[in-house]
Amino acid sequence: MLDKKHVPHLLMVFPFLALFAVFFLYPIVSGFVYSFYDWNATTTSRFVGLANYQRVIHSRDFSKAMWNLGSYIVITVPVGIAVAFCLALLVESFKGFWQNFFRSIFFMPVVLPMFLAATIWRWIYTPNIGLLNTIRGLFGLPSVQFLNDTSTMLYSLIAVDIWVSAGFNMVIILAGMKNIPRHYYEAARLDGASKLQEILYITIPMLYPVLFFVTTYGVISALQVFDTPWLLTGSSFSQYGGRQNALLFPVMDMMGRGFGELKFGQAAAYGFILTTVIVSVTAVMFALRKKGHQP
Amino acid sequence: MADLQIINVSKSYGAVEVLRDVNLSIASGEFVVFVGPSGCGKSTLLRMVSGLEEAPVGEIRLEGKVVNRVDPAKRGVAMVFQSYALYPHMTAFQNMAFSLTMAREPKALIKEKVGRAAAILRLEKLLDRRPGELSGGQKQRVAIGRAIVREPKVFLFDEPLSNLDTELRVQMRAELIQLHANLGTTMIYVTHDQVEAMTLADKMVVMNGGIIQQHGTPLGLYDDPDNKFVAGFIGSPKMNFIKAKVEAVRADAITLSDLGGRSRLELPFRNFDAGIREVELGVRTEHINIAQDTGATDILAARVAFVEELGDVTFIHTDLSTGERLVVRSSKARHRGSTECFVKLDPAGVLLFGTNGERIRSA
Amino acid sequence: MTTDVGLIRSAAPNYALDLSIWTVLKWTVAICVAIVAVFPIVWMVNVVFAEPGVPVSINPRLLPTSLSAGIAKINTILSETGYLHAYYISITYSLLTIAGVLLFGSMAAFEFALFEFPGKRPMFAIVMLSLMVPTAVTLIPTYLLTANLGWLNTMQGLVVPGLASAFGLFMLIQFMRTIPREMIEAARLDGASHFQIYRHIALPMSRNALVTLAILTFMQTWGNFIWPLIVAPSPQMYTVGQVVGLFNAPFSHVTVDIVMAANLLAALPPLIFFLLFQRKIVEGIAMSGSKG
Repeated sequence: MLDKKHVPHLLMVFPFLALFAVFFLYPIVSGFVYSFYDWNATTTSRFVGLANYQRVIHSRDFSKAMWNLGSYIVITVPVGIAVAFCLALLVESFKGFWQNFFRSIFFMPVVLPMFLAATIWRWIYTPNIGLLNTIRGLFGLPSVQFLNDTSTMLYSLIAVDIWVSAGFNMVIILAGMKNIPRHYYEAARLDGASKLQEILYITIPMLYPVLFFVTTYGVISALQVFDTPWLLTGSSFSQYGGRQNALLFPVMDMMGRGFGELKFGQAAAYGFILTTVIVSVTAVMFALRKKGHQP
Repeated sequence: MADLQIINVSKSYGAVEVLRDVNLSIASGEFVVFVGPSGCGKSTLLRMVSGLEEAPVGEIRLEGKVVNRVDPAKRGVAMVFQSYALYPHMTAFQNMAFSLTMAREPKALIKEKVGRAAAILRLEKLLDRRPGELSGGQKQRVAIGRAIVREPKVFLFDEPLSNLDTELRVQMRAELIQLHANLGTTMIYVTHDQVEAMTLADKMVVMNGGIIQQHGTPLGLYDDPDNKFVAGFIGSPKMNFIKAKVEAVRADAITLSDLGGRSRLELPFRNFDAGIREVELGVRTEHINIAQDTGATDILAARVAFVEELGDVTFIHTDLSTGERLVVRSSKARHRGSTECFVKLDPAGVLLFGTNGERIRSA
Repeated sequence: MTTDVGLIRSAAPNYALDLSIWTVLKWTVAICVAIVAVFPIVWMVNVVFAEPGVPVSINPRLLPTSLSAGIAKINTILSETGYLHAYYISITYSLLTIAGVLLFGSMAAFEFALFEFPGKRPMFAIVMLSLMVPTAVTLIPTYLLTANLGWLNTMQGLVVPGLASAFGLFMLIQFMRTIPREMIEAARLDGASHFQIYRHIALPMSRNALVTLAILTFMQTWGNFIWPLIVAPSPQMYTVGQVVGLFNAPFSHVTVDIVMAANLLAALPPLIFFLLFQRKIVEGIAMSGSKG
C-alpha cells in the first residue's frame, strides 16, 4: 500500500509527469506503432510490417539526405567548435568590461530567432543585388548563386549555422575556462611555458569534459538539422531541399513525407530510423569518451 | 519546561544499525550534551527527538506523552542547525518570524515575540539584514533567536558551533550557558567536541557505535568512566593505556607485572576477581610523574618520541619498550633535549579495564 | 654592473612592443568578429530605416538614414497585415508556455531534487532519457495526438504539448539540489506544510534559476518555427514566425525593405530581452552546458 506520507510528493510531480506521459511518452509509443502501418489522412490504416522502413531506406531521397547530412556534420561540428574555442580564447584575453562586451556581442546571433537569421542570410546571399555579391562586385568578381549552385549551397548553409551557433558554444567553453584553477597556469608559467603551450597542455586537457559536451550536443543537434536549410530553401512542404536536393536533410525529408505527401506511417518510420542513428552515434561518442578517459 | 524519556529506541538503515536499544531520561530544565565520534548515532538520536527522523522502534515521551507519531512542528521542539539553515531570501526578522507567520499569528504579536528574542540575543540592530550580510556568530544568534521565538519545550542543538572559529566558539559557549540560565528550558546539544561537552553539560551522554556508553556529570565521567571508550574519549590529551599481567591478588591490594615490559605496580584494590589474569591500566597524563631511576621495580623506562612545550605545561610523548605510547604531563620541568626518561605511575590515578574494555572497579 | 642595467633597459621596451602588437592584433580580430556577428542585424536596421527605392545593399552605410521612412514601413506592416494579431498570438503563446513550464517544472523539480518517494528513480531516469530523444521522432505523433484532441489551430494546441520540458526540469533540479536539506527541515520544524515549503522556501531560493529558465523558454518559444507551422496553419493562429515566413516566401512580391521591417519587428522582443537580461541568459546557458 502507498504510505500516506508520500501523497504530497506524488501530487506535486503529478502535473508534470501527466503532461510528460501524454505529450511525450504516448507519442513515442504511438509513433512506433504508426511506423508499421500504411497510414494517411484519408485511407484507413493497414498493417504493413517493415514495409515503411524498407521504403524509406531504399528511397533515393533518403540516400541523398543521409549523404548531405554526413558531409554537413563532418564540416560543421569541428569547424564550429574550433571557431567557438578561438572566440572563447579571444574573449578570455580581455578583462572586465570589454570581456563582457565582446561576449555579449559574439553571443548576439544566438538570440535571434532562427527564422530571422535565415531570412537575413537569404538576402545577404541573394544573387546580383545581395550584400555578398555586391561586395564581390566591388572587387570585380562575378555574382554567385550561393543558394542555388550545388557547389556552394552546403558551404553557405554551414556558414549560417556557424554564425548562429558559435556564440552558444563559446559561452559554454568560456564557463569551462573560468573553472580551470588559476594555479595551473601559474605553475606552467613558472615552468616557462609559452602561451601556446599553456593552451595545448592546460586549457584543452582541462576543458575535455566541456569540449566533449559541446561536441556531443553539436553532433546531436546537427543530426536533427531542419530550420536553417528549410528556411534557406523553399520553406514549404511542396518545395524544399533546394536545387538537386543539395540541401535536403533527413528531418526535412521526414517532414515532407508526413505533411507534404501525408504518408504518416513512412514519416514515423523515418523518425525511428533517425532516432536509432542518433542514439547509436551518441552511444559511440560516450564509449569513446570512456576509453579516452582511461589512464 | 519539559522532561523527556527515550525508551528502548533502536534505528537502522537497511542492514546498518545506527542506534541500539537506547534508554535515557532527561529531567526538565537540564542541559544535556550528546557527545561521541562521528557516526556514533548522536545526531540521529537528536533528529528522532525532533521528529525529523522517524522512530519506528521504542518510545520517545515528552512530558509523559508518547510523541513518536507527532508531527515535528507540533512537538514543541525547536532546533538550531550546524549550518544555521537561515532562509537566505528573508531578513533576520522574517527568519525569526517565519514559524509565527506560518501559524498565522497576528502581526503585533509576531513583532513583540521577535523583539523579545532579539533583545535576549542583542540582535535588535540587525533585524533588517539578510543572512548574507551577517557574520558567522550573528547568523548563529539569529538561528537561536528563531528557536527562541517558538517558545519550545525543548531546544535541540545540532553541532551549532562547529562552523565558527575557536575564539568565537568559546564566546558563544558562554552565551549559551547564559541563555540556558535565563530561559531554564530543557536543552539537548550534540557535539563531537568533548571540551565543548564538558563545559556546557549538566548531563553528558557519551555515545559510540549506536550505544550510550555512559551518562552523568562531566566530571563524574572524567573521574569514573565505565569503560575504556569513555575513559579515552574524555580528557585531552587522551588517557594512557598500558597492558599488564596480574601477578598476585590479595584482599585489599593487587600486584601487576610486565608494565612497559618489565615494571611492577602495587595497587590498592578490594575484591579483585582472581580469575582475571590480564588487565589494561588507564592513567591520565597528570597521574604520571617523571622520576629518577632509583632501580625500584615501579619505575618505567621510556624513550622520548617528541615533546609539546606549551609554556604553562609540557607534554612528553614517550614510547615504552613494548611500543605503547605514554604521554606524561609535566608542569614544572622544561624539556632539555634528553632522549631517555623514567616515569612513575601514581596508584591513586590508575583505573583498571578488562580485556573487553569494561572497567574493573574496586568494591 | 653597468651591463646588467643596460640589459634590463633594452629588455623592457621590447617587451612592451611585443605586448602592443598582440594587443592591436587582438583588438582587430575582436572587432572584426564583432562586426560579422552584428552586421546582419545592423544591416537589417539600416534597410528598414532608409528612404525606399535606394537599395542599401548597393550603398551600405553605417548608420540608418531616415527614421520617418522606417516608421512608415512599420506602420504599413502593422496596419495592412495581420502582424499585430500575430504578435498577440506569439506573446500569449510565449507567456502561457513560460508560466506552465515554470510552474509544473518547479513543482516536480522540488520533489525530485529534495525528497525521496516511491518510483522517484525510474521516473527521473525516464525523463532524463527523453533529453536524448530527437524532437523529430515525437513531432509527427504529437501532431496527430493534438489533431485527435481537436486542438489544431487553438492556443492549447500550441501551448500544452510543450509544457513538460525535460530540459527545464533538469535545470531546476540541478539548481534546487543546492538547497541544503537543513533548510527544508528548519522550515518543517517551523510548521510550514509541504506546499508552504515549496512556496516560501524553494521557490524564492530558486529565483535566479526560474528567471533564467523563463528567459530561455521565451527565446525558444518565440523562435519556435516548426510547431506553430504544423499545428496552427490557419491564418487566425499565425505566429510572428509564420507571418515573417509569408513575407519571406520567394514570390511574395514585397520589397526587401518591407520584408526587413517585418523581420525587425519579430527580432525586437528577443533582442530587447537580451539587452535587459544578457548576463542571466549567458550564465544560464553556461550553467546548463557546463553541468551537462
